[in-house]
Amino acid sequence: MSTPAISIQNLTKVYPIPFKREKVTAVQDLSLTVEAGQVYGLLGPNGSGKSTTMKIVLGLVTPTSGRTEIFGRDSNTVESREDVGFLPENPYFYKYLTGAETLDFYGKLCGLSRAKIRDRSKELLKLVGLENAADRRLGGYSKGMLQRIGLAQAMIQEPRLLVLDEPTAGVDPAGSREIRDLILDFKQRGITVLLCSHLLEQVQEICDRVGILDHGVLIREGVLGDLISIENQTEIILENAPPELLAQIREMIGKSSGRLVAEHRPQKTLERYFLDVTGPKQS
Amino acid sequence: MTRRMVIAILVLLVFGAVRMPFEAELEKEHKAAYFHGAKLDLSLREKIGQMGFLAALSGFRAFVADVLWIHAHVLWERTEWGAMKVDFDAVTSLQPRCVLFWSQAAWHMGFNASVAAFEDPKQPREALRLKAQHEYFKLGEDYLLHGIENNPDVYNLYADLALLYEMKFKDHCKAAEYYARTAAFKNAPVFYHRFQYYELAQCPGHEREAYEALLKLYKEGENERLPTLLKWLGILQEKLNVPADQKIYIPPAPNP
Amino acid sequence: MTAAAPIATKHKIFSPARVTAIASNTLLELVRLKVFYFLLLFALLIIGSSFFTSKFTFQEQFQVLKDVSLGAMSIFTWLLGVLATAMLLPKDIEDRTLYTILAKPVPRFEYLLGKFLGVLLLLFVAISLMTGVFLVILYARQQDALANAARLVPAQALQEQLADIRAATFNKNLLPGIVIIYLKSALCAALTLLLSTFASSSIFTIIMSVIVYLIGHIQAIAREAYLASQTTTALTKAFLAIVALLIPDLNSLTLVDDIVVGNAISTVLFVKTASLGLTYIGIYFLVGYFVFSAKEL
Repeated sequence: MSTPAISIQNLTKVYPIPFKREKVTAVQDLSLTVEAGQVYGLLGPNGSGKSTTMKIVLGLVTPTSGRTEIFGRDSNTVESREDVGFLPENPYFYKYLTGAETLDFYGKLCGLSRAKIRDRSKELLKLVGLENAADRRLGGYSKGMLQRIGLAQAMIQEPRLLVLDEPTAGVDPAGSREIRDLILDFKQRGITVLLCSHLLEQVQEICDRVGILDHGVLIREGVLGDLISIENQTEIILENAPPELLAQIREMIGKSSGRLVAEHRPQKTLERYFLDVTGPKQS
Repeated sequence: MTRRMVIAILVLLVFGAVRMPFEAELEKEHKAAYFHGAKLDLSLREKIGQMGFLAALSGFRAFVADVLWIHAHVLWERTEWGAMKVDFDAVTSLQPRCVLFWSQAAWHMGFNASVAAFEDPKQPREALRLKAQHEYFKLGEDYLLHGIENNPDVYNLYADLALLYEMKFKDHCKAAEYYARTAAFKNAPVFYHRFQYYELAQCPGHEREAYEALLKLYKEGENERLPTLLKWLGILQEKLNVPADQKIYIPPAPNP
Repeated sequence: MTAAAPIATKHKIFSPARVTAIASNTLLELVRLKVFYFLLLFALLIIGSSFFTSKFTFQEQFQVLKDVSLGAMSIFTWLLGVLATAMLLPKDIEDRTLYTILAKPVPRFEYLLGKFLGVLLLLFVAISLMTGVFLVILYARQQDALANAARLVPAQALQEQLADIRAATFNKNLLPGIVIIYLKSALCAALTLLLSTFASSSIFTIIMSVIVYLIGHIQAIAREAYLASQTTTALTKAFLAIVALLIPDLNSLTLVDDIVVGNAISTVLFVKTASLGLTYIGIYFLVGYFVFSAKEL
């Protein structure tokens, strides 16, 4: 088996409260593995230890005990960060830089050559749909554009792992959809994604696997489909079904040992509806 | 407080201990080069107030001194001599290395305030006016002596003091002494070495000495044979009864 | 685009290119905050100062001009150093840009060094601009005084007067004096950086920095008393020792007041003084890094 993208072993983080004897346990004995190529959703209410876990993975916070690795390299080492791109929650990049300058700055931090930065920058700006805004200052970007430039900077050195903290917080539905599509696009390219969110619907749409944290403890973990499917129920969705067919089906159910739990017209999500009426007309 | 902060403070304490002797030594060297000579003490604080004192302490004493100096100038226009002296005392404490301040303070006291005191229309008794005038001479002298104490490496204040002795105290012996000390500076204007002998010529008992010195200068050539030098040479020749055949310099006959 | 092996070259322990990127970005950040408006204030202040001294002799006028200019340089560079440094880390933390930077393969040492160099660069630009304005105005005033003298002073005294005017304006000790002003402001910036790694708010950092600045100028008195005292109590002695050991001696970097009035500084003394300043800056930075390197962000 290949090296996991993220490996967390028996992680515990205790914060001392300054000038007090009490301590706060943010994460307790957490063990977790994110395999390469997965989109992993880390869920949990505010204060559940999601952010702390993420910060420890990124080496921003030192664990009290336990160990975290990125592709086999200890998170405490600077080198481990060569393979990871990070987009924090509600980031403010330097407002006075343009989109292209922002990517240039982060590219330099990754030690990329000038030519490489130019190429990557062009490629990423196109990917995130900011080609036309490349020379505008970030001060004039919308929330959604900021998140997208944030994704581009996270990807500048072609990392194999992307860590995203609430990537769609505060972004309108269309922007949110774009970001979601980008994440799926990255997944297609084989990039591992760790997504921290409390927008469950979104997680449900894109994650392969989820972990649920509560009070610093991992309470559930597994393949998304397994976790939420209802084992003894089946859903059939029909299109243009004549009433006779429906009557037949009901009759057949009545004869079987099964039970009809509900019958209704599926509704599209409000989001879908919103996007249909506001978005550009599809050809 | 994390453990690191405690260690950091310990490192700073050790750094403090290491630098302490070096800083003490550097301070001595600075003082030897006439830095940090200002006397920032309680009496100064009374004169310039809490704010001014704080500013002076935090590295802006030159600026505070300038403000007081401008203030003193305003007082001068109102001829408030006593108040001027208070400002001068503060200014010279703040900037003891500023020759200009000592020099001007002494000038205002010795030459301006003294004349005003002598001509005081409110004081009918001449004896008291003379006494007041002399007190201002002394104040001028005080500034210059303190100024010299703080600036022994600059000729200007010696020259000022010589002038004060010459013009105001009429003490030609002291004037000669201070002109001589002025002339000893390599960068002092050349006329001071003549001035010392003009004054010495008027110092009782030193006429012979003055005569010989002036004669020596005379022999150096045309450059030294200035009207005043010639005048004093003539006067001393008469005073010392130099025989006619030994007279080097023959004064021109008075115009008819 | 492929998700092949990472394209970054092998990680370097220390990369001047990364430090330069952070430093130049920090300088840009500070410049964008329009900190250079104070230059306008500086120019107004030193031009304005001449209105108060028009009735004075040229020596007095030039002295006031120099005192005001160098005093303003001291206070502006100090304020700039303290304020800019105090907001550096809190602003990056608040905007989470710190996270995006440190999530890249950037060692914390390089981040802190880059930030600090950005401030030093800013101070350098600021003091250079102020020195430029100051020298131009001083030169203009000198030329004005020379022209006036040529018009008004009788021929036999003219040469001496012109020499006096020249002597009263430019003085070769001004430059080392300005270098020391720069070092002092850099020291205060390094100290502020150190304090900000301890502190949780910029206000606290700024207040502490100002207090240290004020005590720093009388630190020498505490040191002298500590080294000399035999009669004081143990408690007093301990207090004096703490002040002398913890607080920097800022008076040793306050030479310009005396230089303006003509005090000369020898090369040896200048080098010693500057070395002391540089040592402080280095130590404060390293101790600041020591605390920052383990800080929970």
